[in-house]
Amino acid sequence: MGSPAERRIALLFIAPALLLVGVFRIFPLAWGFVLSFFDSDGMTKFEFVGLGNYVALASDNAFRDSVENTLILIATLPIWVALPMLLAILIHQGVPGGGFFRAVYFFPAVLSSVIIGSIFNMVLRFDGSLNAMLKAVGLVPVDWLGSGTTALFVLFSVHLWSTFGMSLLIFMAGLSTVPKELIEAARLDGAKPLQIWWHVMIPVLRPIIEFVGVVTTIGALTSMFGLIYVLTAGGPGTSTALPEFLIWLEQGKMNRPGYAAAISMLLFSLMAGLAYVQIRIMSKNANL
Amino acid sequence: MRMTLKAALMLGTLLSGASASAQEITVWDWKSSDPLSVPYYQKAKEVFEAKNPGVTINYVMQPNDQYYTLLGTALSSNSGPDLFLMNGGAQAKARFGALMKLDDKIADIKGDLVGWEEFSDASGAYAIPLSIQGFVIYYNKKLYSDAGLDPAKPPRTWAELTKVCDAIKAKGDVPCFAMGNKEGFGIEFWLSAIAATSWTAQQQADFAAGKLKWSDAPVREILQSWVDANANGWFQQGANSTAKFMDEYEGFMRSESANTIGLISDVAHWKQFDEFLEPANLGVYPMPSPTVAADKTEAAPKFPLAGGIGYGINKASANADLAVEFAKVLASPELEQIFFNDAGAVAANSKVDTAGVKSPAAIEILKIMGTSGAPMAHANATAKELEEIHRLSQLLLNGETTVDEAAKRMDAVQAEARK
Repeated sequence: MGSPAERRIALLFIAPALLLVGVFRIFPLAWGFVLSFFDSDGMTKFEFVGLGNYVALASDNAFRDSVENTLILIATLPIWVALPMLLAILIHQGVPGGGFFRAVYFFPAVLSSVIIGSIFNMVLRFDGSLNAMLKAVGLVPVDWLGSGTTALFVLFSVHLWSTFGMSLLIFMAGLSTVPKELIEAARLDGAKPLQIWWHVMIPVLRPIIEFVGVVTTIGALTSMFGLIYVLTAGGPGTSTALPEFLIWLEQGKMNRPGYAAAISMLLFSLMAGLAYVQIRIMSKNANL
Repeated sequence: MRMTLKAALMLGTLLSGASASAQEITVWDWKSSDPLSVPYYQKAKEVFEAKNPGVTINYVMQPNDQYYTLLGTALSSNSGPDLFLMNGGAQAKARFGALMKLDDKIADIKGDLVGWEEFSDASGAYAIPLSIQGFVIYYNKKLYSDAGLDPAKPPRTWAELTKVCDAIKAKGDVPCFAMGNKEGFGIEFWLSAIAATSWTAQQQADFAAGKLKWSDAPVREILQSWVDANANGWFQQGANSTAKFMDEYEGFMRSESANTIGLISDVAHWKQFDEFLEPANLGVYPMPSPTVAADKTEAAPKFPLAGGIGYGINKASANADLAVEFAKVLASPELEQIFFNDAGAVAANSKVDTAGVKSPAAIEILKIMGTSGAPMAHANATAKELEEIHRLSQLLLNGETTVDEAAKRMDAVQAEARK
């Protein structure tokens, strides 16, 4: 604990950051919470409805479908974690051209979701290049973005493609901390490569896996708007609508900021729960 | 230090005084930087600023697809523009609460303009219409000829339209209709285009009032025709992943489909299609209907016609009177003449001279406008109904729901929205 003068100086230094967090994070959050109890058109109507918006959400088909889509997304989480982990292990073990693959895998991470969406829109639309290729080899074209059976998984796949490079880099960093002696010892004891992966590397990587799992989930639930907007507009029906897309829809198109705020609060609660898990994991792993 | 602060305060006072004397009218739209509309907007600015020295017009063009989101945010934070462009019907009506009522300010122009209904409610008018909007079928005459059809005789009845689509399908080169329903706009156009002929005036009024249900025969039949047209191969494949604006229309302009339901003003209209398909190759006709209302004639189909776009005045504006004056300049005959000539917008001002127009499609539209207009049904549905039918229309095309299920769901949404 420093002197009062030092504490004042410290406060002065952190004041800008506190101010920014307060104005752009805490206040909007509190305002959104208050707004979620009102039926408002954002202009003149501002009527207190208590929990009315939350009750209405319970019987809102679109919201229910978006929650189902979210659960499907969470269920695919093992793929989102396992794919970059396996590729990172392969690169770490020195597959030919590892440096090249690392750069290529990371490249989509520097593109905005709208650009990625536009690129894949050209590839995946019915008259796009993927269907042209299918037709060229005698296969039947598929309406990848317009069919309820394919649109959601196409959306997830595109998002996975665009973000797994970052997870791969995190795994690469984690792998660099795996003691070489441990792997060498396992090899001398006669362990096969798969056994080394399963019994040595993955246990050592456990904190990284947990971290990537939480960060990936939060990213997928809060940063897919651009892709949804460009690729499918939430359709067909509600098959690719996620809560964040519904927030925009209710606020921007339906002019219902109170209802949108109620969805935001529920999404925030989910995110807060995941963030809590993340903090617990990071604290638990601090001494590893 | 004290002197410096005083000097800064004085400078600030002077500057704020200067800004108070130079008034600025902020205008929001999604068109003012569109190359075809620039001459119209620039001329309006020049005319107004010459009449009102010291007042400047500041156009702020917002992205079309984000327009109402940005507008809603600006209005709710009391930082909205002085006047802003809106689509007539549901979009305008959802914002009447933020708009100034104009009845006592528009007496001098009211008789010159048409399309007020889309910008008015029972209490009065809230915006000044600029253009007339409508949905007609544009067709590619060469593709009609290629399919053995007479391009000079577009279909007038549903049976004739069926023959046209059968012939085009038999030829096998292109689909009968371009269809983009990625955002669900395809069903809006289909509904309004068919309802113009299949609904009586009373049914149109009932639908607008929420009394005609989606499960009632007149509406249900249109949903069924949507499903049947798709099942019969009239629409292009992949309609649910094709954006209406502008993927559908770009395909039509590349001669990749024989017909499309287009607009008469703004975009996807005769002016735009003429440039790509050549005026002599572009035809136009009102959409026939599978059922014909008691007060309509089968061989004389109607088409939906309504106030297109218009300017409303922000009731929180400090410059409301000047904003009204500027909106009147935008809607004046001399400016609307430029809008019509350059941008192809069918003007709301009836004093605009259309005699010089050369486009055969535009001539036909102007001819049928006088006798064939009907209400634009979808514009009288609520925003909730439109959002839900967007979704259900996609499921109907995919076969993931039935007409009965969709109509039942729409009844529930309609009842909820009309509470």
